[in-house]
Amino acid sequence: MSYDLVVIGTGPGGYVCAIRAAQLGLKTAVVEKRKTHGGTCLNIGCIPSKALLHASDLFEEAGHEFAHLGIQVGKPKLDLAAMMKHKDDTVGANVQGVAFLLKKNKVDAFVGTGSIPAAGKVLVTAEDGSTQTLDAKNIVIATGSDVASPPGVKVDFDEKVIVSSTGAIALEKVPAKMLVIGAGVIGLELGSVWRRLGAEVTVVEYLDRILPGMDSEVAKQFQRMLEKQGIKFLLSSKVTGVEKAKSGGTVTFEPVAGGEATTLSADVVLVATGRRPYTDGLGLEAAGVALDRGRIVIDDHFRSSVPGIYAIGDVVRGPMLAHKAEDEGVACAEIIAGKAGHVNYDVIPGVVYTMPEVAAVGKTEEELKAAGIAYTVGKFPFTANGRARAMRKMDGFAKVLACAQTDRVLGVHIIGAGAGDMIHEAAVLMEFGGSSEDLARTCHAHPTMSEAVKEAAMAVEKRAIHI
Amino acid sequence: MAERNCRLLVIGGGPGGYVAAIRAGRLGLDTILVEAETLGGTCLNIGCIPSKALIHAAEEFEAAKHRAGKNPLGITASAPSIDLAATVAWKDGIVDRLTGGVAGLLRKGKVTVIRGRATFRDGRTVEIATADGVEIVRPENTIIATGSVPVELPFLPFGGKVISSTQALSLAEVPRRLVVVGGGYIGLELGTAYAKLGSDVTVVEAAGKILPQYDAELTRPVAARLAQLGVKVMAETKAKGLSADGECLVVTRADGSEEVLAADRILVTVGRRPRIEGAGIEKLGLTTERGAIRIDERCRTSMHGIFAIGDVTSEPMLAHRAMAQGEMVADIVAGESRVWDKVAIPAVCFTDPELVSVGLAPEEAKAAGHETITGLFPFQANGRAMTTGRDDGFVRVTARASDHLVLGIQAVGPGISELSASFGLALEMGARLEDIAHTIHAHPTRGEALQEAALKALGHALHI
Ligand SMILES: Cc1cc2nc3c(=O)[nH]c(=O)nc-3n(C[C@H](O)[C@H](O)[C@H](O)COP(=O)(O)OP(=O)(O)OC[C@H]3O[C@@H](n4cnc5c(N)ncnc54)[C@H](O)[C@@H]3O)c2cc1C
Ligand SMILES: Cc1cc2nc3c(=O)[nH]c(=O)nc-3n(C[C@H](O)[C@H](O)[C@H](O)COP(=O)(O)OP(=O)(O)OC[C@H]3O[C@@H](n4cnc5c(N)ncnc54)[C@H](O)[C@@H]3O)c2cc1C
Repeated sequence: MSYDLVVIGTGPGGYVCAIRAAQLGLKTAVVEKRKTHGGTCLNIGCIPSKALLHASDLFEEAGHEFAHLGIQVGKPKLDLAAMMKHKDDTVGANVQGVAFLLKKNKVDAFVGTGSIPAAGKVLVTAEDGSTQTLDAKNIVIATGSDVASPPGVKVDFDEKVIVSSTGAIALEKVPAKMLVIGAGVIGLELGSVWRRLGAEVTVVEYLDRILPGMDSEVAKQFQRMLEKQGIKFLLSSKVTGVEKAKSGGTVTFEPVAGGEATTLSADVVLVATGRRPYTDGLGLEAAGVALDRGRIVIDDHFRSSVPGIYAIGDVVRGPMLAHKAEDEGVACAEIIAGKAGHVNYDVIPGVVYTMPEVAAVGKTEEELKAAGIAYTVGKFPFTANGRARAMRKMDGFAKVLACAQTDRVLGVHIIGAGAGDMIHEAAVLMEFGGSSEDLARTCHAHPTMSEAVKEAAMAVEKRAIHI
Repeated sequence: MAERNCRLLVIGGGPGGYVAAIRAGRLGLDTILVEAETLGGTCLNIGCIPSKALIHAAEEFEAAKHRAGKNPLGITASAPSIDLAATVAWKDGIVDRLTGGVAGLLRKGKVTVIRGRATFRDGRTVEIATADGVEIVRPENTIIATGSVPVELPFLPFGGKVISSTQALSLAEVPRRLVVVGGGYIGLELGTAYAKLGSDVTVVEAAGKILPQYDAELTRPVAARLAQLGVKVMAETKAKGLSADGECLVVTRADGSEEVLAADRILVTVGRRPRIEGAGIEKLGLTTERGAIRIDERCRTSMHGIFAIGDVTSEPMLAHRAMAQGEMVADIVAGESRVWDKVAIPAVCFTDPELVSVGLAPEEAKAAGHETITGLFPFQANGRAMTTGRDDGFVRVTARASDHLVLGIQAVGPGISELSASFGLALEMGARLEDIAHTIHAHPTRGEALQEAALKALGHALHI
């Protein structure tokens, strides 16, 4: 069979690319080795983790929040199997949705592992070993990423005791003790889930801070909040071994600065030290597609080193985020169809779905300092926001960073309940190259938590009202 | 009789007045604020903030009720009970904090606050009746920010069973049967809260449907949820008065028939009107329009040196409009060149689901003579909505067909009030559909629905 475009992998990058291509009139097929579409994001990533974050947050609220509001209720009990079913149902609805969308847009879907014997050809190998070859004028590689172990440490994931995020969203019971290796987004989100459900959670991190890459003031404040919730942090600690024990597992680590090693044990060890681009089995070497430290090398138009082969999503450079993959999918499809697709990498919001949430778009203070850009800071705490008080969600603040010369907004950082929704006005603003004054002069509804973002923008010019 | 002069006198310490005074104080203007009751006005004391606190508590209570017994999220708890007095005490604590905060900010801004009722003697002289006698202030500029009061129905005066939103925010116990007269946002917000707290709620609305100023597509999810919560909505029904024994509310249906509704409380929320009386405003002969003080694009009234802001200047009676006006007038009095050029004032109904409207609705845009395209994206196809178990509602965007300039954005859905900020910003920046469609929205969030609605309007939505 012959196609204008064959997309390998139906994660958010791949399926969105295929749908957009089909909309633009390209004859399109997708190849996916998993039984369901949606990739990491819908099956074992964003969606299931957010379903558990939501449910566990409600569980925690039921246990701790109610008394303040005048609601009397007995201690809530957890039916973990039912909570997991809520997660599975959510995943089910989402992946079926993608299958429907592909069908609706007349995208042919092939189940099997895709490989590229030569430019212009995709070989699909089904589970039973049968194969078929697709002719493809264009190929988009969207094979995503897979769990990575900490550098230099061999980890045998059994996904019961020594788990990656995939096992951590499907535990059968709440561990009494959980060790999380890595204080990045995934470790903190899933650590939060199990802490809320009753586990004693300790996070071991190599760096001297949590949330590497995010604004350090935000990270510092956020760490304090998580500590208050009961999560313990062991920073500047280099993990040297992860072992399965008779019951549970152990983690051995030593101070980064040098010194004695410590071994801790726990019922479950979650290894959340990042993800690696996944290109196994694609036969890229034979096809001549160049890699750089495992990532497929692309130019600004998603073209790999081989004409007719493109790559998008977690498998290429840039943040490993579903919406970044989706936008690359759209842009790549548009380029293949002869249009001018484009992704603005300066304005990609990032969200941590803990309680409070953390959200950011644009530059951090550290990045601005490193780049030698003079900037002004406006900050506003949620303690001074009416809606936050009315919902007892006063933790956190909004911070706007603007260019000292032009007032153009360069970065916005928010910690607070619902930060993930609030960040979008900043994204829209920054797409327009807007100034802090533009944000400050936009009428924000009262009472909403977003008023804090506006006040932070006002604070850039030292004219916040409510502080 | 004490007498003093000042650059700026602000009458009324609601969100309009206190923001104006704080800003003026910080700009170095010698400013006096007069407040007859408590700082913070309607908004902080008996409006936005306490209502949202009560709504939040009711929402949590309903969720807890929902969780008693088996449920999809796997959380089981015993049936909860509510101690409304404790809820009200919690709410009062928030109000005290916030009004105390306003007092602190005024102090920090070096604003002189006088507790008392202000009355104009003439356009340049204001008399203030304080606890220690009368003071006279001769300001160079005055801002009237006296707000609004609930409209009272002559045949259903407040008192006894008949209450306004103010009493509804401080009831000692949950009424067994609550009849709400007026299905606007205030009535529905409070009615929904009490339904969640266990009241048997009936909403009586004269128009053909609830939230009459919004279109049916937008209000349908709210109506559906009300039905699910067991709230009875009687549209095209008018309140007539109390029954002879004073126990029940008599209403007239569309067909002229009468019905008697038993009620423990009757909450009348048929709108608010500008508070012009009681401050000698009528003596000034300011131009008014349907009971509101008429203002120009700088909030100037028909008399030189007298400005008016907030609810006293009519619709939309919203706290954030009052605040934005207050800030602007302070700048103007300080000599800055400012003018009211807001493209969008978002309106939010904190109903369940929440409802947001910014700019024009599709029908309004058509009526204004635009040729339009509209895109609607349902939360049913939004991953984040699914993870929370609530996928009712949608985001809808309307743009000019010729150049895709966004004219309006509406949304209805649980917890979408925070989306109002990005809707407002998009309109304020003059966004086109392409601008929104090409702004990367974080996954998974409800905000993605805006991007998808824009894509839908452009004819290539990805997720429907
Ligand atoms: C626990 C967790 C939580 C996350 N939370 C978020 C979040 O909240 N927000 C966010 O933006 N991102 C989140 N992410 C990251 C997000 O999931 C990824 O960025 C996103 O899925 C990348 O999309 P993709 O299309 O590049 O690849 P993937 O989603 O990884 O999809 C790749 C697909 O390709 C298939 N495949 C691979 N090789 C082949 C082959 N040879 N033949 C056929 N098929 C193949 C795979 O089976 C897979 O289905 C999370 C990740 C994890 C693990
Ligand atoms: C139940 C309820 C819920 C609401 N929810 C929202 C919402 O969610 N969002 C929103 O935007 N709006 C909401 N509103 C509307 C909002 O409260 C008003 O729009 C806002 O308070 C108007 O501000 P203002 O400054 O114009 O007047 P007000 O807040 O009414 O303040 C006027 C002040 O002036 C004082 N005053 C009056 N006359 C004199 C005088 N002669 N001398 C001295 N002082 C005087 C009064 O005591 C009062 O404190 C709600 C209102 C109610 C009743």
